[in-house]
Amino acid sequence: MIFGGSGDLAMRKLMPALYNLALQRLLPAAFCVVGTARRPLSDAAYREELRLAVSQHSRTKPLNEEVWRSFAENLHFVATSDDRGYGKLRETLDRLDHELGTHANRLFYLATPPPAYASIVRAIGEHRLRGDTGWARVVIEKPFGHDRESARELTEILHTVFREDEVFRIDHYLGKETVQNILVMRFANGIFEPIWNRQYVDHVQITVAETIGVEERAGYYEQAGAMRDVVQNHLLQLLALVAMEPPAAFDDKAVRDEKVKVLRVLRPITGDDVRMNAVRGQYGRGFIEGVAVNAYREEPGVARDSRTETYVALKCWVDNWRWEGTPFYMRTGKRLPKRSTEIAIQFRAAPHQLFSREASEGLEPNALVLRIQPNEGISLKFGAKVPVQGIRIRSVNMDFDYGASFMVEAPDAYETLILDALRGDATLFTRRDEVDQQWAFVDPIMEAWGASPTDPPIYEAGTWGPIEAHVLIERDGREWRKA
Amino acid sequence: MAQSIAIDTTFWGARVLGVAAVERELTRLRRAVIAHALEQRLVAARASVLNLIVYAEREVHARRAAKSISELALRHPSRAIVVLADRGAREDVEARIEMHCHLPAADNATQVSYEQILVRARGDSRQRVASAVIPLLVPDLPVFLWWTGAPPVGGPPFGDLLGVADRLIVDSSDFARPDLALPSIARICSQARGLFGLTDLNWTRLTPWREMVTSFFDVPAWRPFLETTTGVRVGFAVDMDGRDIHPSQALLFIGWLASRLGWRRVDELAPSEAGGLLFAIARADGARVMVRVRPRFERGLEEGDVSGIRVQAERDGQRAEFVVKRQPDERHQTSTVLIDGRTRWERTVPLPSPAIVELIGEELAILGSDRTYEEALAALVRLS
Repeated sequence: MIFGGSGDLAMRKLMPALYNLALQRLLPAAFCVVGTARRPLSDAAYREELRLAVSQHSRTKPLNEEVWRSFAENLHFVATSDDRGYGKLRETLDRLDHELGTHANRLFYLATPPPAYASIVRAIGEHRLRGDTGWARVVIEKPFGHDRESARELTEILHTVFREDEVFRIDHYLGKETVQNILVMRFANGIFEPIWNRQYVDHVQITVAETIGVEERAGYYEQAGAMRDVVQNHLLQLLALVAMEPPAAFDDKAVRDEKVKVLRVLRPITGDDVRMNAVRGQYGRGFIEGVAVNAYREEPGVARDSRTETYVALKCWVDNWRWEGTPFYMRTGKRLPKRSTEIAIQFRAAPHQLFSREASEGLEPNALVLRIQPNEGISLKFGAKVPVQGIRIRSVNMDFDYGASFMVEAPDAYETLILDALRGDATLFTRRDEVDQQWAFVDPIMEAWGASPTDPPIYEAGTWGPIEAHVLIERDGREWRKA
Repeated sequence: MAQSIAIDTTFWGARVLGVAAVERELTRLRRAVIAHALEQRLVAARASVLNLIVYAEREVHARRAAKSISELALRHPSRAIVVLADRGAREDVEARIEMHCHLPAADNATQVSYEQILVRARGDSRQRVASAVIPLLVPDLPVFLWWTGAPPVGGPPFGDLLGVADRLIVDSSDFARPDLALPSIARICSQARGLFGLTDLNWTRLTPWREMVTSFFDVPAWRPFLETTTGVRVGFAVDMDGRDIHPSQALLFIGWLASRLGWRRVDELAPSEAGGLLFAIARADGARVMVRVRPRFERGLEEGDVSGIRVQAERDGQRAEFVVKRQPDERHQTSTVLIDGRTRWERTVPLPSPAIVELIGEELAILGSDRTYEEALAALVRLS
């Protein structure tokens, strides 16, 4: 069941993901998709729209007509603009259950704008769409509320119809191969975990950089900003995965328990600390990949005096035994020079400098970099002797390139996550208490910024954020990596 | 009116639309190489130890640079981003950036060691260049910026690209007006102390000369003459008509001596003779050193290359001359010591090839700044 079945998300992500799952023979034998939206649409017209969307957005091309035909036979559409529509929806679901023998196992995917969540959940309850037998799960997209309070309200609404273990909050970052690989790298290998702590790690940098501007999302983005759009979910998730303790098992409870523990000890940035440890910025005019681009305030749908932040840099502390004294620097922004998501673990320098200053001029501290996108991979930076007479040291990279090592294209995050949701594996989804802790961290900063009389500093599009962000890290004698 | 240079796609590779497309295309090409290697049961890897940005305003320069870098690929596996920009601001051409990329086939199929990207900046694209180049850099690798021609004093794209560079490479032999360009390089150098290193290929060409001159004074008996130098003569090559005068290399040599030996300012400046220079410098002890920099036509030499050096000194009534000369075969160097006009010692050693490939190869091995060069340059600027 996809609510918002003819919307952008369904067209660009969900349907191509489902189609690719079908292509890989990963969908169950008896399976169908019912899309719903306000505007009326026949099954045939719906299928045709989806066909176009999938052939355009699928990661595998061209469309396999045979597979599509059989997949499309199980696509249905019901318009739900009123109670009658929901009644019809229920009839359709019951009929399909009967035909396919699916025992009313139902996955509800809320692919609508967040304001519609409440009424949809209510309707699912009132019209008893959950069915009497079988399982029911609901997948919802971020944002999960706009602050701690509203996130709690949303959870309460969801809980009127679904139990917490039936709620799958999706953060598509967690579906990425390389993000899951953080856990594999840390906990399937013996050599990293012993040095994964304050004793060896000088600091950690997490970067989520985009080159795109606000595009068509101004309506949402004006309210959200970079903090709610990226920090609250993606950045804090990455932080949790890097900083967490080894879970006892790779299951949804153990993994998420450990993540929550990290979020709980993430030192809040409040009051005066905000000025010191949190930097916001908003992009001005500039150039991206050689093309002149507008300032944020010139974008369609954005207020001319908007104070929404499009850039955030933070210095955080994880107050526990493992990380005492090791700062985590995080940054995210739009209209930065390059699209890049990565986590860099920067290790301490060798304790004793054996080589002359001149010889080691090209030497940088060891760093382990987990590249999430693009060019997924891992690289380890270390010093090596340059092949000349005498000693001259330079940093070199030992590189692991995902694509070149496995020679297969990684599945799209949505494929992974939808399949997990169908299987009922919630490991890669965000639990209520995680969301709650994420907001507990974000809210005080947003409050301080909201109360501040000044505008966010402007940075030129195509640069790495405002000068304040550089000050934030250079004050500590460190610098942002050249991502 | 607006005549754009057509891009030779056999050399520069196919045109691709945007940074993401460049990466996709290079990944595709890389995988093809790797797949090919796997078929032959070899293990292929991508190797890359540096980013090299080349900035050129003439296709011939861009092409020459690209060729040099590809020849160096096994020694210095790299990603080269060659920027070919229109000279000056041309208003008749719409400002825009185009990209081409290419993975030149290596002899060694087991390694992908050279990735070449052409960033073609048309019209007045000064503001745009850096925004197209920076996202193409391979993260975590040092960035070398090779600027062909004399670098401008500041402003985009020079300033922007320098901002991401660990090392700036120039070739002062290309400078049309070294008297203006060398001081401005010295300024760039002193302003950015520590942020990036500076290399002058012309300085690298001078290295065998400096080595030979230095080696004279390793000998204890001759060492004291260094303090009592009375004259230095440096010859540099010009073309047959004596029109193209490029004394940068010879001047850098003087600057180097001055910085090492604490020579101060010019006492008097004699009128230049036939494109050369004649002047006096004050030694550390105040005595005068006569310096003569003279253009000479010599077959087979690149204009501006040093052809011979003679250091004269007097001490305890003895007159010494230390001479380094290039042999007519161009592949050897001879150094001679004359005491009171009598040859005391002579030796001939191979002269390393000054090919640009070799020069660049040397430079890419160094990351830090070259203090000796910077000091020589500073001394030279002080002298003039």
